[in-house]
This record gives sequence, C-alpha cells and structure tokens, in this order.
Amino acid sequence: MPGNPQRANRNKSDNPEQSALAPFPLDPSLEVNLQELGRRIGHSSDIVVRRFTNESLGSLELAFIYIDGLVNADVVNQGVLQPLLETTKLNSEFISAADAFHVIKNQMLPIGGVKEGNTLEALLPMLFDGYTLILLGGLQAGMAAATSGWEKRGINEPTSQGVIRGPKEGFTESLRTGTSMLRRRLKTPDLRIEEYKIGQRTQTGVALVYLEGIASEQVLKEIRRRLNAINTDSILESNYIEEFIQDGGLTPFPTIQNTERPDAMAGGILEGQVGIIIDGTPFALLAPSTFFNFFQSSEDYYQRYDITSFLRLIRYSAFFVSMLLPALYIAVTTFHQEMLPTTLLISLAAQREGVPLPALAEALLMELTFDVLREAGVRMPRTIGPAISIVGALVLGQAAVQAGLVSAAMVIVVSFTAISNFVIPSLAIANSIRLIRFVMMFIAATLGLFGIMSFLIVLLIHMAGLRSFGVPYLSPVAPMVPRYLKDIFIRVPLWDMTMRPKTILGRETRRQGDKQKPKPQGEDHA
Amino acid sequence: MNISKKTLFCLLCLSLLSTLLSGCWDDRELSELGITSGSAYDWEDNQWKATYQVINPSSGASNTGGSGGGSTSSPPFVTFTVKGRTIMEAVEKSNLTSTREMFFSHSRITVLGESVARHGVNQLIDLFLRKQDARETVFVFIAKGEAGDILDQLMQLTKNQGAGIQLMIEQESRLLSYYPGTRMFELAMALSSESGSAVLPEILLTGPEIMDETQETGRTDLKTRLALGRLGVLKGEKLVGWLSQKQAFGLSFMTDKIKTATIAFPSKPESGGKPDASFVLQKSRTTVHPKWEKDHYVIDMNIKGSGVLTELGSVMDLNERASITEMEQSLEQQVLELVDNSWKEVRKLGADVTGFAIKIHRSDRKRFKQIRKDKSWDRVFQEIEIRPHVSIEIERTGLSNKSFESVHEK
Repeated sequence: MPGNPQRANRNKSDNPEQSALAPFPLDPSLEVNLQELGRRIGHSSDIVVRRFTNESLGSLELAFIYIDGLVNADVVNQGVLQPLLETTKLNSEFISAADAFHVIKNQMLPIGGVKEGNTLEALLPMLFDGYTLILLGGLQAGMAAATSGWEKRGINEPTSQGVIRGPKEGFTESLRTGTSMLRRRLKTPDLRIEEYKIGQRTQTGVALVYLEGIASEQVLKEIRRRLNAINTDSILESNYIEEFIQDGGLTPFPTIQNTERPDAMAGGILEGQVGIIIDGTPFALLAPSTFFNFFQSSEDYYQRYDITSFLRLIRYSAFFVSMLLPALYIAVTTFHQEMLPTTLLISLAAQREGVPLPALAEALLMELTFDVLREAGVRMPRTIGPAISIVGALVLGQAAVQAGLVSAAMVIVVSFTAISNFVIPSLAIANSIRLIRFVMMFIAATLGLFGIMSFLIVLLIHMAGLRSFGVPYLSPVAPMVPRYLKDIFIRVPLWDMTMRPKTILGRETRRQGDKQKPKPQGEDHA
Repeated sequence: MNISKKTLFCLLCLSLLSTLLSGCWDDRELSELGITSGSAYDWEDNQWKATYQVINPSSGASNTGGSGGGSTSSPPFVTFTVKGRTIMEAVEKSNLTSTREMFFSHSRITVLGESVARHGVNQLIDLFLRKQDARETVFVFIAKGEAGDILDQLMQLTKNQGAGIQLMIEQESRLLSYYPGTRMFELAMALSSESGSAVLPEILLTGPEIMDETQETGRTDLKTRLALGRLGVLKGEKLVGWLSQKQAFGLSFMTDKIKTATIAFPSKPESGGKPDASFVLQKSRTTVHPKWEKDHYVIDMNIKGSGVLTELGSVMDLNERASITEMEQSLEQQVLELVDNSWKEVRKLGADVTGFAIKIHRSDRKRFKQIRKDKSWDRVFQEIEIRPHVSIEIERTGLSNKSFESVHEK
C-alpha cells in the first residue's frame, strides 16, 4: 500500500515476522476498538469506517470497516449495509449483544463467507483482503464478511507463449482466477490447492496446486519446506518465489519452469509436477523441471506428433546454434581456417578485407549491439517501436557493413544466433544461453575449438550435477531411463504414451489404456 | 570448509586467468592470411625455385561483401617466385615480399617442373608429409618447362586456378580415365612401394604466351589454355620418360583405373579399319595374376568391361546378334592394341608403373625376396610377358536399332 504512514513505524522492528505491536484482543467498548484500529492502520483516505446504532437490535452499536477499492460496493451495500440497517426483520427488544452477534452472523447477512475473530490481529489481514469488518459494541468479537471485489484485468491471450493451435487464455494477476482455470481443466477430486501467505508486508497469496497421488510426496514435502522457510517482507512476482526455492543458486540454468498458460500448467500437473500460482502475476511456476522440459511447448501436444518431433529437433539444434555459433565462427576463422571449404574461406576473407577489428571484437560488438537493441525493444514505448526497428536493421546492420566496421558474415552469424534464441520455447533457458554465449566467445578466441569443447564438457558436468527438487536435471537422458524417452527428443503418438512420459517428475502411474492405435473396425485388436 | 572454498575459488580463477596468458598465441585473422591455392617447384642454379599462387580475396567470389571494395580488375590471385637452398628457406623468404603469411592448408595442386623431376622429388615429398599445414592431398602435376609459368595462367569459368585444375583432373579421371589424378600421398606411396615408380599427369600451356592479365579472360576463346598432356613416368625419384595419351589410356586398363571411358573403334574391322563408331565403357575391371613360367613371369590380365554404344557410322542392323558380336570383337581388339602399345613403352622405360612388383610380391613372396636380394628386379621386369584377355560387352545400343546410315541407304 503506497504512502502508508506507518511504514516507518514498522521498520523499527528488527524481525519482520513479529508485528510491531502486541496482540490486541477486542475490547467490549467499540470506541476503544476503533481507536486501536485507527492507530494501527492510520487514517488513509481509502479506509471507510461507518458507525451506526440499530434500534431493533437492542440499540446495538455497530461499526463497519472496509477498504474502498478492495470491496465490491454492491455486495457491501446489499449484503451488509442494507440488512443491518433495515430493522424490519427483528423486533426483539431484549436482545443481548451476544445474541445479536449470532443473529447477524447466522441470519442477517446474505453473504457467502462470514468469519469471526476476537483479536485485531485476526481481523486485520481480512480487511486487506477486501472483507468488511463488522464490530459490535459490548462484545469481544468481530465479524468479517467476504465482500472482496476489486478491479481485475480480464483474461487475455498469453503474450509470452503464443500458440497457433490451442487455448488462447492465459493466467491473470488474480490468484483465484488462476486456480479456477485449473479447476475447470482438472475436474477431479484429486486436485489439491494449498494456499500460503508469503511476505510479511505483501501477504502475497501463493497457491500450491498438484494432483494427489500423482505428484511425488517427497517433492511436495520439499516444496512446502522451502516455501515455509521463505522469510522476506515482499513477494511481488513469481520470480521472488523462484529464486528463493530453486536448486542450484549458482547456475545459469533455470530449474523451475514458468508459464502463463493454464493448459501448460494443467499438462505439467497431470504429469506429476507441482504448480505454484502467485497472486499478482500471470506467471505461474512448475516444479520440478528438467532441462528437457524447457524445450517442450504446450503446442507440441496440439499438433501431430511427426511435426512435433521435427520441431523438437529444430529446437535442440537452435539451442546449440544459439550457444555456439558466434564462438564457432571465431574459432574457425582465427584458428582453424583449414576446416572451411576453400570457396567459403575466400569469400569470408574477402568480407574481412578492411574490417579493422579482430574477429572476437567484431563478434562482441555485434552481439552487444543486438542485446542493446533487444533491451531497447522491451523498454521503448509502442509508438516509437518502428523507428527503433529501422535504426536497428538499417543503420546497424547494413550501414555497419558498408562502413566496413563489421563483415557481412558476422551480421549473418549474429542474426542467426539471435533468431535461434527465439526458437526455444522457454525464455528462461533462452536467457541463460545468452550469457553462456559470451563466455563461449571468449574461450573460442583464446583456445579455439579445443576451448569450446572443454567448456562444453565442463558445462555438461555442471548440468549433470544439477537437481531440481531431487530430480536429476538431465534425466531421463542422464541417468538414462529409456522408457521415459518417448517425449524428449521426439514425441511419440499420444496413443503410445501409456505411462506418463515425464514420470521422472512425479509418481509412476498409468495414464491410459493399451493398444489404442486406431484401426479399421473388425481388425484384430490383439 | 570456508577457507578451502575460498582457496578453491582462487585456484579456479588463477587457472582461468592462465588461459588468457596462453591464449591466442597462434591465432591468425583471415585478413592476415595468404591463402595459397597452388605451388610450383623448379630447380635452378642448384637452388629450389618455388612459385606460389596466393588468392586475392578482394577480387574473390562475392563482390558484395567486400567492404574493402576490391576492384573487379584486380587479378583473382597473385603469384610470386622465391628461391632458396631448401624449400622452407624459399617459403620463409616469401615473407620478404608478401604482406601475408603463407597458408598452405587450402592448396589444391602442386606442379613440378621438369627440372625438379630430373633432380629428384624426395625432399619435396618429405616436406609435404612433415609440415603441419601442408596438405598431402594436393594433386601433383608435372610441367615440361618452367612450372612457375603454369600458375600464372588465368582460367575461364573459375577464378581460383588451383581449384580449377583440381576440378579438371578429377573430371578427366572420372569421365575419360586417361590419367589417374595423383595426389601427393599417392605419389609417395607409389614411389615407396615395391615397384618404386609413379606416374604424374603433365599440365601444359597450349599456346606460347601466358594469359596473365585479367582483361584477357574477357575473350571467349583464349589463345592459351591449360591442358593435360602426357603422362610423366617417375622411377626412384626421377623422371625417366613420358607416356603418350594413348599409352596412358592403355596403362589405365592395366592398372584398373578405368571409371568411364569412350573408345572409338571400327564397326567393321575387315572393311577398312577406320574408326566409325563410339562406345562408352561404363564398367571395367582388370584382374592381374602373375605366375612364374620356367624363367620368367607371365602376367595373366583379364579385362572385363561393359557399356553403351553411342555412335555408329556404318550400315548395320543391330537386331542381329552377329553384328553386335562383330563390334565387340573389334572393341576388344582396340583395347588389346592399347594395352600392348602401352606395355611396350613401359617396358622400354623400365619403370614398373603397372604395379606388377606389388602383385608378384603378394602372390609369390619367396621368389620376390630372392629377386630383391639379387637386385634383379629390373631384369625380371624386362622379361615379363603379359597375356591380356579382353572381353567387352555391348549392353545397350541406344535408342535406335539400325544406324542412320542404313536408313539413309534405302
């Protein structure tokens, strides 16, 4: 909440887990309660406190407190204010405060969720969730009516993971929308949603979504442990959670997937992964994840297996191209010229005539230029987008070649590298290659192909040592489990995936019947 | 634990830093390389005279990329000649005149001048086998006069002359089979084998003047071209003589080097004997079986071939088996003559380019050991008698049964 005047006050506490103030049990006096409340939450303009007396409830003193903007005004008016202000329903003059509490709670509020609380500490978090607090004079208890309702973005097509064929809806910033999308897809009683509030100040809702009996108990236990161990004051996006709970802190490789697509998440959950939806961001997490998960796109299952298998191979090649191409170019043109076909060598040499920089500097220059352009593309306002593209493409591409700063071949290498990077479905792993690429380039410029090979070996050793919540990062390739390879480098037809193809992530269970390959009627199904 | 981690980290950093120290000591930027596409060696005044053909990239294949903007009139390659007491001395002297470091890995051809071939090629072969960036897969040629002149000649349809010559010999040996292309390692293997002899195709200029100006390649019919001429025969390490094109063809039959060949032959040998038909030999296989008969070796040579009739200039009905048989016999006679003619010349030169020594060594180890001991191979070779048996089959006669000549006569 921006501009909270009490922030300074709270910061005094060393341990953010403890509230600055001692627990405050509600006082019978409504006045005292409201004063204490005011002291705690200040007098921000969006906090609405309304007091009145209801004659028909034995001159009961009542107070509503809610935060404007977090509640649905219609619900508050019709569900809370109206029933309590209208006195026709009850006419008892001898009603006590305690009776009134029960009558109100059980008979008068046409609202789904009404909770009780007898300390401010119990009630305050609900206030911030959009509940309307109802305090009664003469009672040491209060109520909170679920009146939440705030402005939300509608469900849109996911911007970062588009598909040609497949569902076009993406998660939104609302946690509840997210869980509902999953419920709609997984109509099984086994679907479990566990909710956590993480972050002392943000109190961000974090939901753990998994299928009972399919997700691995060990993984769940580990995720719960790590979630509970998070001690921070704020969780603003799923990456906060990701960094706090993911394995291998010092690695360029992500060990948790993120997705904006409920269908992708449902797919992952069905295969034993655990989903983590975080309030306030459309990006949800999936864990555990192996290296190969990052090359699977949800569209892989929405189109035929042959084309999918082909695309998988393209993606893996794109991964290597994106990581190695500039390095290979440097290594081959500065150390191993004999490897090139003569005509290619001559044409490369012709292009390098008059280029003032050594190959490494040339490659670095172009790679950095591209990263600058890319970053600019993300930041710049939409309206001036085309201008930047023209500057990037024409000025930096063509003009740099014509001015003799870089060779045309290098422009091709850098562009192809950049394009390849976008072939990989997961931005997370694509970004990690962006960094490795630079290391590779330096190594290629000092040690040539020998260096590239050695670094690849080091990289492989590192990856083989990584774990994602106990699952080896390179499984099921290393350690090799042949029967799980049906969805790694190729995708076999769906009717052939009898067991869960990514079983390595969860528990081994059968997911469909045998021998479902379609055949003409009457043929032997044996 | 903490300290050891720190030390480990330091060690890692140090080892990484050391790569920077050692790194790039042998890197070469493309613009510093003189890409050599061919080399030629002559022997003059008791010195090696080496000519190198260095590709000029700015006139190279693509004119678009050249930011240096190489003018189109600049030659596709430059040559320069250096002298030295040893070959490497000559090579290193090239750095006195050239702006670029010589880079031999893309060399395609090596031309030996007759002077070198007479002087001996062992030292040169040794260099090619020993030096790291020298390729022993270069094609070796021999030139009658000055070898360096060959490299100056510009070629049409290709800018890279060395690669052009390589293409020429590769296509020739695939389509004509007159000369087998000889690579440096094949030369070395042949010279070090039991027979100790090798053949090298001759490359020559068809005219008196050298076309070495770029404008001249603008003409459609160059006055002087590069062509393959005869076949040089080396024995030991020296040139001992030449085989004509026909003799070279015969040798190809003897050494089973035929891939495809065209043979012109008389379709009716009894009437005239002037060649009036062509036959494309598509498959050919030669097997050689030496055997000792009393006091000399007899080589049984079975040549089997098959192919297509492609040209027929006489009156003939191909529906009749007899005429096919007649032509087959005529073809066999042609091949027999080629082989005999070739063998005579080879025997005269006394160089075992047929590889008989290898065959005898393999089939008759004992006697060959004795021959070696007596150093009598040259005499044994002279006494060898060959018995070629040729069988050629016309598998197809093309699209028409009767020759057009016979249609015309009606």
